[in-house]
Amino acid sequence: MSAAPPGLLNLVQWLSPAFPTGGFAYSHGLEWAISAGEVRDGASVERWLADVLRFGAGRTDAILLAQALAAEADLDALTDIARALAPSAERLRETEDQGAGFAAATAALTGFDLAPRPLPVAVGQAARTLALPAPQVLALYLHAFAANLVSAAVRFVPLGQTEGQRVLAALHPLIDALALEAATATLDDLATSALRADLAAMQHETMDVRIFRT
Amino acid sequence: MNAVTPLSPETRPAVMERSSGCAFVALRQSRGATRLADLAQAGSAKAILPRVAGAVPEVVYLNTSGGLTGGDRLSYRLEVGAGCRVLATTQTAERAYAAGEGVAEVRVSHSVGAGGWLDWLPQETILYDGAALERHTEIELAGDAGCLMLESVVLGRAAMGETVSRLKFRDARTVRRDGRPVLLDPLAFDDAALAAAGGFAVLGGARAFATLAMIGQGAEDTLARARAVLDEPGVEAAASAFDGKLVLRLLAPDGWPLRRQVVRVLGALRGTALPRVWQV
Repeated sequence: MSAAPPGLLNLVQWLSPAFPTGGFAYSHGLEWAISAGEVRDGASVERWLADVLRFGAGRTDAILLAQALAAEADLDALTDIARALAPSAERLRETEDQGAGFAAATAALTGFDLAPRPLPVAVGQAARTLALPAPQVLALYLHAFAANLVSAAVRFVPLGQTEGQRVLAALHPLIDALALEAATATLDDLATSALRADLAAMQHETMDVRIFRT
Repeated sequence: MNAVTPLSPETRPAVMERSSGCAFVALRQSRGATRLADLAQAGSAKAILPRVAGAVPEVVYLNTSGGLTGGDRLSYRLEVGAGCRVLATTQTAERAYAAGEGVAEVRVSHSVGAGGWLDWLPQETILYDGAALERHTEIELAGDAGCLMLESVVLGRAAMGETVSRLKFRDARTVRRDGRPVLLDPLAFDDAALAAAGGFAVLGGARAFATLAMIGQGAEDTLARARAVLDEPGVEAAASAFDGKLVLRLLAPDGWPLRRQVVRVLGALRGTALPRVWQV
């Protein structure tokens, strides 16, 4: 017997900041929102992240990941969909570059032949071998997505480390609810209302000084 | 600006007959010119072809029911033949009224043959409080065909002091090339999203928004031209070029500044006069 369910430690490792996915380089447009003064403290970081999770890429990524986890999934079709959904040059790069890094690292660890794919599809492609419950995979994915952006905010707003962790903890109920919802969603449920998050990613392209790639 | 004045929600009867309409137009190259090959219209949908003889034929769609409400069905279809260049628009802004029961369903299904180009530039959709509208806009491109597509949405009319807090709105744009998706832009606004609309990641308080996308040969090269005109007062807009596309998001406090900005961007991208229904 083992302390953790089989596969859980693999997934925790794959979604940890130390895994060579390169997430630290991407801010999802948050750098622009911080520079514009729209995100400037713990409360505004939490609001921005909650909206992106609930109404933007958090939810759509979770739906794509849930679809990719299914045994009968057409991963090439999901790859086309994930690419076509990217609203801007940098957001496409964010999901493709991280997905390629993730696929290469998981392929090296597992010995499976894992093609480079947009991040949620790449995670689904690798995680489907772990036989974990889908809502659990989605919750950990969304948590990693939020944790990465909290970490960007801690460095760039800046926020205190503890304040950043408080923001992340406050997002847990939302992450949990989204994971449950996305686990049973279909591709027809893909939708966004987070138009200014897209706008922020586009505005980021023309910033004079940038620390993050997106 | 509008040839058809719709009834205000107050003057529309409380119990309305459900309207349904379907308008289909096919244009093809024949004897060196783009000509009307097929036209079918039923119910409340009409298609007008004011300038088919010109270099770029125009097709203007019209919903004669005066607006959409729960249970309405509306379909606009256009087939652009290989090598044809066509501009299609709508006669007037579309209005989605409080729905009562049911959802209004709108299907826009266009196709563009190889070497062809479609400008799909419908006028704005105005959503009233309580509206329920599901719209699917699909453009199928064959081979090297391309398109420019616009969708503008206004939440109520700010000048009339209207606020929109109840909504069931799904608006999905899909562009495929030879069957594979190249642009997916599904938007959704329900009561929860409206309640969060003040958030800087959502609408930042904007009440009007638009997506403009160009897909095809040369689309990415238009980025600088588009960015150069994104300075309309009161409008927030940004553009990005990638993967054979130019995509713009635009947000404004109301429909008019958004429309002025859209007209300027279209001018910069197209370089030719807009159809009469679009002139401001």
